[in-house]
Amino acid sequence: MKRRVVITGVGALSVLGDDPSSIHRSLCEGRHGRRPLLGFELPSRTVSEAGQIAFEARRYLPQGNLRPLDRTGQLVTSAAQLALDDSGWDAERRREHPVGLTLGTMFGSVRTIAAFDQRALEAGPQYVKPFDFANSVINAAAGQTAIWHHLWGLNSTLTGGPTAGAQAMAYAADLISIGRASSVLAGGGDELCFESLFSADQAGLLAPGRGEGARPFDRQRSGMSLSEGAALLMLEEASGVAARGGRAYGEILGHATAFDPSRGTDRELGIEVLTRTLKQALEEAAIDPGEVTAISASALGSPRVDACEAQALDRVFGAELPPVSAVKGGLGESLGASAALQAVVILESWRQGRMPGVVGLEEHDDTLPLPRLSAEPFAVKVPGPVLLVAVGLDGNVGAMVLAPAT
Amino acid sequence: MNKRRGNKRRGRAIAVTGLGAITPLGSGRQEVWQGFLSGRSGIGPVESFDTSAYNVHVGAEVKGFDPQPYFRRLESSAVGRASQLAVAAARQALDDADLEDADFEKDGLDPFRCGVAMGTTSGEPLEVEHFNDLRAVAGLAEYGGELMTRYPSHVIAAHIAAELGFAGPNTMIPAACAAGNYAMGHAFEVLSSGRADLMLAGGADAFSRITYTGFARLGAIAPDVCRPFDRQRQGMIPGEGAAVLVLEPLDRARARGAHIYALITGYGLSCDAHHMTAAHPEGSGAVRAMEEALRSSGRRADEVSYVSAHGTGTPTNDRLESRAVARVFGERSSVVPMSSVKSMIGHTMGAASAIEGLVCAMAVADDRIPPTINFQEPDPECAVDCVANQARSLDVQVAMSNAYAFGGNNASVIFEKPSAH
Repeated sequence: MKRRVVITGVGALSVLGDDPSSIHRSLCEGRHGRRPLLGFELPSRTVSEAGQIAFEARRYLPQGNLRPLDRTGQLVTSAAQLALDDSGWDAERRREHPVGLTLGTMFGSVRTIAAFDQRALEAGPQYVKPFDFANSVINAAAGQTAIWHHLWGLNSTLTGGPTAGAQAMAYAADLISIGRASSVLAGGGDELCFESLFSADQAGLLAPGRGEGARPFDRQRSGMSLSEGAALLMLEEASGVAARGGRAYGEILGHATAFDPSRGTDRELGIEVLTRTLKQALEEAAIDPGEVTAISASALGSPRVDACEAQALDRVFGAELPPVSAVKGGLGESLGASAALQAVVILESWRQGRMPGVVGLEEHDDTLPLPRLSAEPFAVKVPGPVLLVAVGLDGNVGAMVLAPAT
Repeated sequence: MNKRRGNKRRGRAIAVTGLGAITPLGSGRQEVWQGFLSGRSGIGPVESFDTSAYNVHVGAEVKGFDPQPYFRRLESSAVGRASQLAVAAARQALDDADLEDADFEKDGLDPFRCGVAMGTTSGEPLEVEHFNDLRAVAGLAEYGGELMTRYPSHVIAAHIAAELGFAGPNTMIPAACAAGNYAMGHAFEVLSSGRADLMLAGGADAFSRITYTGFARLGAIAPDVCRPFDRQRQGMIPGEGAAVLVLEPLDRARARGAHIYALITGYGLSCDAHHMTAAHPEGSGAVRAMEEALRSSGRRADEVSYVSAHGTGTPTNDRLESRAVARVFGERSSVVPMSSVKSMIGHTMGAASAIEGLVCAMAVADDRIPPTINFQEPDPECAVDCVANQARSLDVQVAMSNAYAFGGNNASVIFEKPSAH
């Protein structure tokens, strides 16, 4: 018998704020979090803005030595603090019971790794810092977070590109449902750095131009806005939550992940893979498409990837398509953090009674089979199941069904 | 107590039906396994970069590797070295499982139910090196953005799936030096829960100056040879490689008449939450991983015939690992055979526990266990039977593979004879 998995707390650091209600409000107001680049610029100067957070780890982690943590580590450790506080997992409870951590990240910290190598090149291999080497492994942020908060349950890092956070939540949900874990922080995080932003620009993945941001599902969409962030959800086995007098925001009813082996080069195969994934998640959740009350789309502003998602949604829902929300026009593509941030927005939408629309949408794209998209928020009269979609840039896809706690 | 051996008492068992590996000792299941049994060493002077600025100069590189024959859909030059090693090991493993061309129809497989779970320590670190070399010399004006497209570690699992046409779950778990075991554990769950019918699970890492620099800076690299559990051991030796196991639900494997090397019957994961690069002094995380692995497979410690050690050859690891094994195995810890193939191929990072998975599967299948070579002087702090220098014949009913990693990640996997189920 599978155990039910509920969400009892969230922690989110994003370019639109560090608490769910302000993130939600900004998205409903159609705001974006891009700002002029701080600390570096790109040689091409075609991109002068990105989703950097004015982030001070001390605000979240008042005690302790922050020096061993790089930026990704600090973002994730801070988000974990918020999620632990929100769910009532104080230090004493963590000593008694194992809390796990499953973290999705695309890069870990490519900045740390590049800087480590650069120092060895310039100064000589004996002058690198051991701290930096410890952080050069891709699971560093998860390890550092576990040490900081004494999370002695299972600890895994998953790197499925921008779907990593969805994979990490699915991984944790499965381990809880089969009884291998009872309480797991799950989500993801990635920092924004020169190496990632520059490479995305050189690879032609960014929306170009000063002040131009990503415009998901828009006729003029031309690329993503790269962002940073970290978001973690406390996932717990349902009966244990009731027993400790905790409260749940929502429940994970089902999920699925898959891979497009053509990595976007075979349009039809890409749509088929995503369609099957969405259906599989609904099937596992034991709900019909008609029962889904809203979609949290992955759409990031990519001409190809957004079109694939639109087609798959059409194949699954047809005329029954519920209202679609897409937040990356505001939050940007925050890679490992993306799916967990989508989840945070879904939970907050149930509380607030409205859900952000397709943030950044200006001009309808007639070639997409999604006729009723709107940038405006829509009302959530009775909270119900929401389908969260995660689509990567090179093949990975995931889907998850969240429902309000009953 | 009761006679557990041979009892068909519990549900979960996944069949290991194919094995592939590219290692510093050789390529392919047979060559690698024979290499281990003969106690050969794959360690030598580092050739892939200049080590004159370092105070150590040995490594365990894969020499003369040609990825071309393994690539039929993708361009081998379009992917990084770790991906090349991984794709090669995956092709070998499928071939070994008699599923060579992944002819889905013929094999009764649905590509949507064929997945990949891989582990790594560093992903494709050569892409970072390339980026830094360009930055230092030619400038970045013509840079193609490969840190975004070729570097992120998930591309290793993605490249395997793209090469083979696998559309099922695709997971990359960078649990550093325990990553292969994490990948196998995840594949075990994916198959047990019915999310896939076939999983390729393993690990891969490419030899990299970044990794080498780091371990050199920590003073962890041995100057000449790797001698795990020896009193005079001086450290580990960085290596590279890849290994992939074909995993299938037992009933499916039997139904298609597959040769079953071994079963995976359980695994355990734990986190020290103690220190990034040093193991817990009491080995408590390692103990929990072993205990959970035993519990999940329904085995007791006294039923374990062979332990594949993490056994890096660093003074600290081997001491703490011996202590942890003593806590789990009690008095038997000094007599249960426990060897480390890292004595022969160095520490292949994310590939290590995947290669050691191959070792355990073959030990179970072949009733032989590989030695720990270079062993000369016992260390009272490592009171284990490390199968010194000579392979041994042994009735291997149950094998345990242990792996420990930066970040405090520990993972143990249990392999058993197919006749046990």
